[in-house]
Amino acid sequence: MAETGIARQPLIQGGKTLAQVTLDVLKPMERRPGLLWWVAFLASLSLLGLGAVTIAYQVTTGIGTWGLNNTVGWAFDITNFVFWIGIGHAGTLISAILFLFRQRWRTSVNRSAEAMTLFAVMCAGIFPVIHMGRPWMGYWVFPYPNDRGPLWMNFRSPLAWDAFAISTYFIISATFWYIGLIPDLATIRDRSAPGLRRTVFSILSLGWDGSYRTWQRYETVYTLLAGLATPLVVSVHTIVSWDFATSVIPGWHATIFPPYFVAGAIFSGMAMVLTLMIIARKAMHLEEYITHRHVDVMCKLILLTSGIVALAYGTEFFTAQYSANPYEQFVFLNRAMGPMAWSYWIMVSCNVLAPQFLWFKRVRHSLPAVFVITIFINIGMWFERFVIIVTSLHRDYLPSSWSSYSPTPIEIATLIGSFGLFFTLFLLFCRILPVIAIAEVKGVLQHGHAAPGAKAHHEEGRGQQ
Amino acid sequence: MNDPHQVHWRSLDEFADPQLAERRGESEFEDTPLRHAEAPGRRDFLRATGFVLAGSAITGCSRAPVRTATPLPTQPEDYWPGRSDQYATICTACSASCGVLAKVRDGRPVKLEGNPDHPLSRGGLCAVGQASILSLYDSHRLGQPHVSGKPSSWEEADRAILTALESIRKQKGAVRILTGTVTSPSLQERIRAFAATFDNARHIVFDPLSSSAILDAHEALFGARVLPRMRFEKAPVVAAFDADFLGTWISPAEFTRGYREARLENGKPSAQAWHTQFESHLSLTGGGAEERVRLAPGQLAHALAALVARLASRAGARSPAVTSPAGALPDKQLDELAARLWNARGRSLVVCGLADVKAQKLCAYANHLLGNYGATLDLERPSLQRQGSDRAMSGLLQEISAGQLGALFVHGLNPAAELPLDKTALEAMCRIPLLVSLSSRTDETAELARFVCPDADPLESWGDAEPVSGTVCIQQPVFRQVGHSRPAMESFAAWSGKPATARDLVRTHWRDSIHPRHGGGLPFEEFWRASLQTGAMEVKPQSRAATALRQEAVEALPAPSAEGMTAVLYAKTGILDGRHAYNPWLQELPDPISKAAWDNYACVSPAKAASLGLADGDLIKITAAGHSIEIPVLIQAGQHDDAVSIALGYGRRESQRFSNPGPKWMYAKPTTGADGLVGVNASCLLRWTPETLAYHRGVQIEKTGRNRELAVTQTHHSLTMPPKLDPGGPPRPIVQETSLVQLSAPAEHKSEAHPELWPRDHQYTGHRWAMAIDLDACSGCSACVVSCQIENNVPVAGRDEVIRNREMHWLRIDRYYSGTPENPRVAHQPMMCQHCEHAPCETVCPVLATVHSSEGLNQQIYNRCVGTRYCANNCPYKVRRFNWFDYPHEDRLVNLVLNPDVTVRSRGVMEKCSFCVQRIQEAKIEAKRLGKPMADGDVAPACQQSCPAQAIVFGDLNDPKSRVSQWAAQARGYRVLEEINVRPSVYYLKVIRRDGEANGGGHHG
Repeated sequence: MAETGIARQPLIQGGKTLAQVTLDVLKPMERRPGLLWWVAFLASLSLLGLGAVTIAYQVTTGIGTWGLNNTVGWAFDITNFVFWIGIGHAGTLISAILFLFRQRWRTSVNRSAEAMTLFAVMCAGIFPVIHMGRPWMGYWVFPYPNDRGPLWMNFRSPLAWDAFAISTYFIISATFWYIGLIPDLATIRDRSAPGLRRTVFSILSLGWDGSYRTWQRYETVYTLLAGLATPLVVSVHTIVSWDFATSVIPGWHATIFPPYFVAGAIFSGMAMVLTLMIIARKAMHLEEYITHRHVDVMCKLILLTSGIVALAYGTEFFTAQYSANPYEQFVFLNRAMGPMAWSYWIMVSCNVLAPQFLWFKRVRHSLPAVFVITIFINIGMWFERFVIIVTSLHRDYLPSSWSSYSPTPIEIATLIGSFGLFFTLFLLFCRILPVIAIAEVKGVLQHGHAAPGAKAHHEEGRGQQ
Repeated sequence: MNDPHQVHWRSLDEFADPQLAERRGESEFEDTPLRHAEAPGRRDFLRATGFVLAGSAITGCSRAPVRTATPLPTQPEDYWPGRSDQYATICTACSASCGVLAKVRDGRPVKLEGNPDHPLSRGGLCAVGQASILSLYDSHRLGQPHVSGKPSSWEEADRAILTALESIRKQKGAVRILTGTVTSPSLQERIRAFAATFDNARHIVFDPLSSSAILDAHEALFGARVLPRMRFEKAPVVAAFDADFLGTWISPAEFTRGYREARLENGKPSAQAWHTQFESHLSLTGGGAEERVRLAPGQLAHALAALVARLASRAGARSPAVTSPAGALPDKQLDELAARLWNARGRSLVVCGLADVKAQKLCAYANHLLGNYGATLDLERPSLQRQGSDRAMSGLLQEISAGQLGALFVHGLNPAAELPLDKTALEAMCRIPLLVSLSSRTDETAELARFVCPDADPLESWGDAEPVSGTVCIQQPVFRQVGHSRPAMESFAAWSGKPATARDLVRTHWRDSIHPRHGGGLPFEEFWRASLQTGAMEVKPQSRAATALRQEAVEALPAPSAEGMTAVLYAKTGILDGRHAYNPWLQELPDPISKAAWDNYACVSPAKAASLGLADGDLIKITAAGHSIEIPVLIQAGQHDDAVSIALGYGRRESQRFSNPGPKWMYAKPTTGADGLVGVNASCLLRWTPETLAYHRGVQIEKTGRNRELAVTQTHHSLTMPPKLDPGGPPRPIVQETSLVQLSAPAEHKSEAHPELWPRDHQYTGHRWAMAIDLDACSGCSACVVSCQIENNVPVAGRDEVIRNREMHWLRIDRYYSGTPENPRVAHQPMMCQHCEHAPCETVCPVLATVHSSEGLNQQIYNRCVGTRYCANNCPYKVRRFNWFDYPHEDRLVNLVLNPDVTVRSRGVMEKCSFCVQRIQEAKIEAKRLGKPMADGDVAPACQQSCPAQAIVFGDLNDPKSRVSQWAAQARGYRVLEEINVRPSVYYLKVIRRDGEANGGGHHG
């Protein structure tokens, strides 16, 4: 089906030549940044600065500067963490799973999606560190050799699993991304005049020579890494969900969490990729590379994962009711009708209702509409984690300890700061590296193919061209 | 030139007059006193010095007793650094004078514990007593006398006071000594001796929380102004009218212990026990009563009269006329109560806390009809814990306003804050020529006084007490004086012209007056030593002429007047009359009923609040006769619709220091109100009647439209879910109840409810520590909360942090209401770390900072903790406490109270109840040293040690004979949240409902 689709409508529009592709993609890198970029960059940098200052204040003064209390021990911190980890998932899904499934429409978006993954994991990584009461002792969660005798880390703790899952995820994603970049890095090298730029990219491109043998090895490594990264798409968020699922707290203690979290992560990641792509496409004049077809395919994925998430929400209620466990039943009634019901209904509206518009092709083809919907999904998925964490904690077993939660400006500023970090990194990425995988896109241009739908080969998109 | 007699001359003058040198030699040392003929010469001096030296060397050979506390540069025998010693002394935090053991570690007292050998408190010590140790280390305590607000010396102050007294003596001016109840016989003797040096001197005794009406009633009925000692331990049936005897009334620790004992028969719940409480404000005592009758403040005395009428008709005795309309009173409940009381004649008590002499006469008459005098009310050995006279106080105020006083000495009282004094009265007080305050802190009265002669702290000075006639106790110093305060006793001795040390004064008084009353034939020294060691001795009571009751003195009550809204001024647990307003532990202690800390508030019933449109925290203006206060509202279940109750003891000058006792950060809000004080002083609403100072008064209430958030530690009050969110089914089985019927049913074999699929994680081959708490015994008095806080160096977080739900108490008392909001039942549940066998906190900590010990303790390792708070989230009991900030520890004097056995936690780490592991270790080491196995009861955690109700036991669950094993195996034993299989080590014993409405599962909704 996909093959006939490609036959009818090319993935890359505008009848690009191979050279044009290189020129188009590298254009932003090879000229001075425009006013728009500077405005965006300075704005992101200020947000990052705000985040850095508040984190410094919070680390020197204490976690008490957050709105947490004896009953609600996590709120914004872990919400932000899970949110950002979820965002990262789309990148891995697009780069690894879709690669293995030979979904060639991925070539236009995989580079930036992977970059987004890395930056999102960086943003996510901040929170488990700063949420600690003594972050300077944070390295104790790793099983490093030490002189404390039998005192090591606790392998039973899901937080320790988290530390492994996230560091593994980051390392594999970064490697995968870097390997995928090598042919493009060589292209930049070859286009640069002798000087610092050329030296740097020579080193980074690891002596790429575009030979048949190089290409073959590259392809092998890339496929292997894709194979390695694929389980991570499932494992990372599964492990993150265990932070909650292995506990005894009603609303957390749920076996549905791993698939529910993975689906949610892909859902939120796709939404974020779309949000960014719609902006980048416009800002960087990549309309011919990121086409309506890309948007359409991703919207369908969003619709599918939204359905899974909605099913999970429903299943949770059913399980609670069916369990006859009064604590469990109460938690879900409290979620939907208690003092924090507003957050629950924001979640449901954004994650279940808003994506329903994507059933309509007209909506899927209207970029402003898709953009708005993806923003709603981003908000909704943040609230999903907030709802799971806060509404389960604030009213658990003993009514004597029930409490409420509201964030302090410090907490809000850390969330904003994480967005600042994300966008700062992303804007730098747009300036420094090709946002589209040049070599891969050249492979789907169908130059040199008589028959439509024939297999693309990477040899045709040689880096040197 | 060889003439041997040749005269050598040194000057021409000398040559001219050869005698000159000789004459000059004679006058050479003319200036020295040794030259004076009448003064002793050099030889005399040497002779005298030699004699003194030899004499002092000889007398120095015998060892003089150590009279002052000294530092320990040389280690005395039987003293090891790091080991604590306990000294028996008395608690002076209120006039109940309970016995305490001061735990002294490395020369400094770190904890006050109840003295089990004390005949009144018997090991109990209330929250206020526990917290009073902080007074010793209070850096705001005055360390020297002040004259006109400036620091001075004792010599200077005494000289000025003595000069002033001399002129008053000459002018025959009036001297008044105003004190609170003085239970110390030695101090009383000193005051008497001081007063005797004047022609017109009197000792006025006044209690801010007065029982004057009881004393006056007994004076009228029995001819002796006495407060009978109430023997709650002999009275299973109790009827109380507005008397919070388990919480704040007269001697709560003693009464709680007695009350608990009377409710047991041979260790089993007594079937006869019954308690009915009549009150308009939900008190600690009323909340736990079998039956609580909610009445308007004006109806209480009439209900008492109606009860007396019923008792009189049963006894066939004269009955005073009942004046209240019959319909207004709960006739059915009164009938039943009269029957219960009548069946328990001589084993019952009717107590009344109303400041109304007529009502107190009725109460006494009721007890007389029931034959309680001589059985449960002791007139032979009456209580001396309340001696104040409201009439004497009112007379004194008239004298002050009339400007008739020459001198006023104020000790142990703060009339400027405790009495409804207006500006003119305060000005009149300032005009007293000699106003001396003996307050240890600059309180409102000390601010007015020209002389402030600070009394020493009881832990640093000698003293004594006779709380009940015939029970005498010594107060011994356990710490060297901080600063240069002076015991009041010494001050009065100095002003009488006979200065002496407090120790000598106490010893002399004991030798001359107390020892002769001891019939045992013990020599004085042994008697003295025995008193010091045990903390209390029984001697013959002071003889009082208690005659038979004069029935004709019992009067009928005046007809009730429609009063509308009535203010009820009450004493709040922990704060009492406000004398401990400086104490942050007590300020942060949540009220056992309202769970509010740090402020006082106006309790309004839910119905009244709805009709006035009031919500929690709304500021209202309460006005009475021109006086008004603005105070936030707290909607209190159980409150009578026509009563608004306000705690006394707030808005004190000493609370100025609490502008921000907690962490300092960007959004920290102050603890004090706009006036810089904690709470509002409501004493302006007190009202003088001809006989007493009344705590009830008709008032008007207005909304102000502003509000002040209250620091409440518990926001949901019931085990039933909010109506909209209730999934149905019974209330949560967290506090469980049982009835006498269920208990007397043949005990079903308690089987292991949850079979285990896996082998046990922990074998517990040695000890297995566990705790059991009797919820039926627990009154909620909160002594354990403060005791735990002191023992474990738990920081004070401040009002803002409490509002943010970050109070640090390791042990909290959960309070659940059941029944109707109009008249709920109250259950208290002490909740601390449950030391689960399958602890959810242990598995989730990524760094192994919380681990299980081989003896069943869940241990928190502070220096390993990185502060992920996952453990707290995963704790089903929510007992873990996080150090959100570095809590202030800048005050180096206050830091001396820290327990050296317990780490002071830094920011960013989790903490929680450790079952007082330091005490377990201490007991284990001691057992090892003595080479014998540990016995049950060797370890008493801080909460258990001082529990006045003895509701907590701790011990080894592996020892089937230990009390904790036996309690756990009882039919009443259960564990909270047993169904989630975390297997806690804390067992609770179900509440017993004697009114037949018990619910086996949950607490009734």
